[in-house]
Amino acid sequence: MPAFLRIAGGPSAGYIAIAVPWGAALVIALYRRHVRIIGFVAALISAIACALPLGAASAGQSLYHALMLLFCCLTLGATLILPRRDCTAGSIGGILFILGSTLLAYAADNLLVLLSAWILSAIPFFVPRWFQAHSWRPRAGLLLSAIALGLAIAQIVAGAHTIWIVNLKGQTPGGMAAFGLLVAAVIFRKGILPAHAWVADAAEGGPAIPTALLFNGHFGALLVAKLIVPLFAGTAVVWLPILSYLAMATALYVAVRALTENSPRRLLAFIALSQSAAILAGLESGTAEGITGALVHWYVVTVSTVGLFGILRLLEVRFGQNLSVSTHLGLAGHAPRLAVSFAVLGLALVGLPGTLSFCSQDLLIHGTLQSHPLTGLLLPIATAMNAVSVFRLFTRLFLGKRRTGFTAVADALPRERWILAVGLVFVVLGGLFPDVIVARRAVEAELVERAIATKVVPKPMPPLTVK
Amino acid sequence: MSFSQVILVAVVFAPGAVFALLSLPWLLGWVPGERGISVITGGTYSLCALGLSGLLWKLAASGSTAVVVTFGNWFAVQDYRFPLVLMADRLSLPFLAMTVVLSGLIGQFSSTYLHREPGFFRFFVLLHLFAFGSLLAFAAGSFDLLAGGWEIVGITSVLLIGFFQLRPAPVENGLRVFAVYRATDIGLLVGIFAMHHWTGTAMFTSGLPLLVGKQALIVCLLLLLAASGKAAQVPFSGWLPRAMEGPTPSSAIFYGAISIHAGAYLLLRIQPLLAHSALASAVVILIGVATAIHGTIVGRVSADAKTSLAYASLTQVGVMFVEIGIGWTSVAVVHILGHAMVRTMQFLRAPSMLHDDHQMHSAIGGETAPAETQFEDLLPEGLGLWLYRWAFDRGHLDTILDRWLVQPLLDVSRLLGRLDHVGSPRYRTRSTRGAVSVTGAAQQGGD
Repeated sequence: MPAFLRIAGGPSAGYIAIAVPWGAALVIALYRRHVRIIGFVAALISAIACALPLGAASAGQSLYHALMLLFCCLTLGATLILPRRDCTAGSIGGILFILGSTLLAYAADNLLVLLSAWILSAIPFFVPRWFQAHSWRPRAGLLLSAIALGLAIAQIVAGAHTIWIVNLKGQTPGGMAAFGLLVAAVIFRKGILPAHAWVADAAEGGPAIPTALLFNGHFGALLVAKLIVPLFAGTAVVWLPILSYLAMATALYVAVRALTENSPRRLLAFIALSQSAAILAGLESGTAEGITGALVHWYVVTVSTVGLFGILRLLEVRFGQNLSVSTHLGLAGHAPRLAVSFAVLGLALVGLPGTLSFCSQDLLIHGTLQSHPLTGLLLPIATAMNAVSVFRLFTRLFLGKRRTGFTAVADALPRERWILAVGLVFVVLGGLFPDVIVARRAVEAELVERAIATKVVPKPMPPLTVK
Repeated sequence: MSFSQVILVAVVFAPGAVFALLSLPWLLGWVPGERGISVITGGTYSLCALGLSGLLWKLAASGSTAVVVTFGNWFAVQDYRFPLVLMADRLSLPFLAMTVVLSGLIGQFSSTYLHREPGFFRFFVLLHLFAFGSLLAFAAGSFDLLAGGWEIVGITSVLLIGFFQLRPAPVENGLRVFAVYRATDIGLLVGIFAMHHWTGTAMFTSGLPLLVGKQALIVCLLLLLAASGKAAQVPFSGWLPRAMEGPTPSSAIFYGAISIHAGAYLLLRIQPLLAHSALASAVVILIGVATAIHGTIVGRVSADAKTSLAYASLTQVGVMFVEIGIGWTSVAVVHILGHAMVRTMQFLRAPSMLHDDHQMHSAIGGETAPAETQFEDLLPEGLGLWLYRWAFDRGHLDTILDRWLVQPLLDVSRLLGRLDHVGSPRYRTRSTRGAVSVTGAAQQGGD
């Protein structure tokens, strides 16, 4: 059994989880019928295969297994929520291809496999018949990130003469050049300033749901957690804060940018980008609270963003492609359950109490303020602006004078209703019982914190005056 | 758990349970009738009131001053804990009682007032969620949990401002109020962080976190920012008249009774910290005085009953801030309770104001004699006119905020948009494209 697909709990589970989606994509390409069913079954098998090792993994090693399971569930949901006109062989096949590639990236403990997965996951967005966007900027962003990562890995392998990540931990392989290239790869892939524009272009010019899946692979954060921090622990202490500042600046920049955006897709992309930049800021805060908050927020952003893009696509299919938030559309009268789902998922993305993001935002803010007292203020400010943008998007799409002229039933179909309900239950139950997720991520966060040994030394307290 | 603790938990979570009970079936396709909703609402708050009475009696009989219920930590990471603890003490019990009684009354009033209103179900769902948020905020034993209830109160109030969603004005006003809430709540979040950072805790079941000197000043000012936003104090008063777009029962309970006093409650809770910081107390008093003056002047030019009542509320809340700043906490609590009851009654009677007026005139046999001298008559004419224009524009607060804060921010946003569009000319028109395409686009979205 090739060692590079080792997964705790059994290698065969890893094989199945990654190979089944690719196999199913091939079947769909050849058979071209019952594509939704095939896609659903393939994603379900992957999810089960990812869940099996999860139970056996120790508390400090379950992060990637959990993320793999999360992505499988997202893909499962995507196959159900995809509107009929989008449910083509190409779309479902592409989604399954992305699933397999993303799982490969999460599972890889080998530099070459990681690079391959990085490139494979972006391929559908270069193929015109697949998910290529109208704009050149998404392709440029993805290409530059792949080139940067490839050069970094070449530098590392040339210096360390090994491709196994476990053998490279703490070695600072390839020096500052490799570190810089890895950071560049993160910046381009994640859409950090100044490489942020491609995300909105991809959301608007490409298919909504597959783009949301690409974005929610969070490959940038994955690279930080999998490579940068473990391999460059010493360098990270000094230089990661720069990436942290860039991430916080990105969160604020796109939050401000979103305030006057009238395209729903671009607006949603900016909000998602701002919240996902917070993940990066938390990972780089160097505090257990910040890292835990980032890991928990990863779940929230992923589920909420895919759900929101899914609902937006459902609205476009029902009510027309050219939705704009420059005026009130009054769609709640036609689709009340979609409206409520949108409201809850949207507010869950920005810290609604009772949802998982309330806990993650709380931890993120504490962690980033602790390590960066001044710049950390940017995070709650950005989150507040994102909340306003989410609310503006909701009110413009769903409230206002009810439009007439629709005779078909426009609210959520049963399969859409169920999958949206699952998403809502996840964010709400996760908010009511957050310790189930927080406790596990906290253990991993402490390992990361110890790895970079950046336990924050409290600034000298001002002398207390006793009256 | 003791009897008192069980009662406290039941009272706080009952409205939340009703919210879940009503909203989950709706998601699955079943909508309860008006009668069922009214019965559930009435029964819930009657039982809550009964439970609180029992709790009060038990506390009085045992001589205890507080009931504390600890559920452990909601979540914890290393030394950071988010405690789940409820507390009913001499400060929070009156507020809990006020919330339960007024929520029940509003529920009963609304059963008739909103009969056959399309949003009847939506109103009651939000009412229960609001009541849960308020009870959680008032019964919280830590500032972390208080913040959760605080946010829920904010969200529900905004959704009810936009209740009449078919008109754009209520929806836009709701958005504006939401923006003010979120901006000022940053003070609450950062203030709570500061407490954790300096003292390691934000719980107050055994007294407030020990903060003195600059630490107390910073925390007080941050929490004052949040309290001022929620209580519509100067310079954030502009959102209050916008909030009158909502239905009268929600205006009564939010801006006559509970939501608008939440800011004062927060200040009462940190009053021992305020006492440690003369500067913070002075700022509280200054804000209160400015708001009271602002409210009374602007209220005199208001042309509709609800706005007039809103500014009357604002004036009284300003006076409460002054009382708290001085340290007259008992006076402030009594003031809050009395004001909440009277103002709620006035708001609920506002739709009948004309009818009341006609009845009164019929009873006395004619019009009432106008007052001989108004306060405005004592002013020079020029000053009076200037003051009238100032009051009519509501102290220019919204204009100032828009010109110096909102518009510059939006201008920066638009500039960033132009920068982003460099290299992608195709999207310049798409982002500014107009309304939805409705012509024959109603295709079914699935199988």
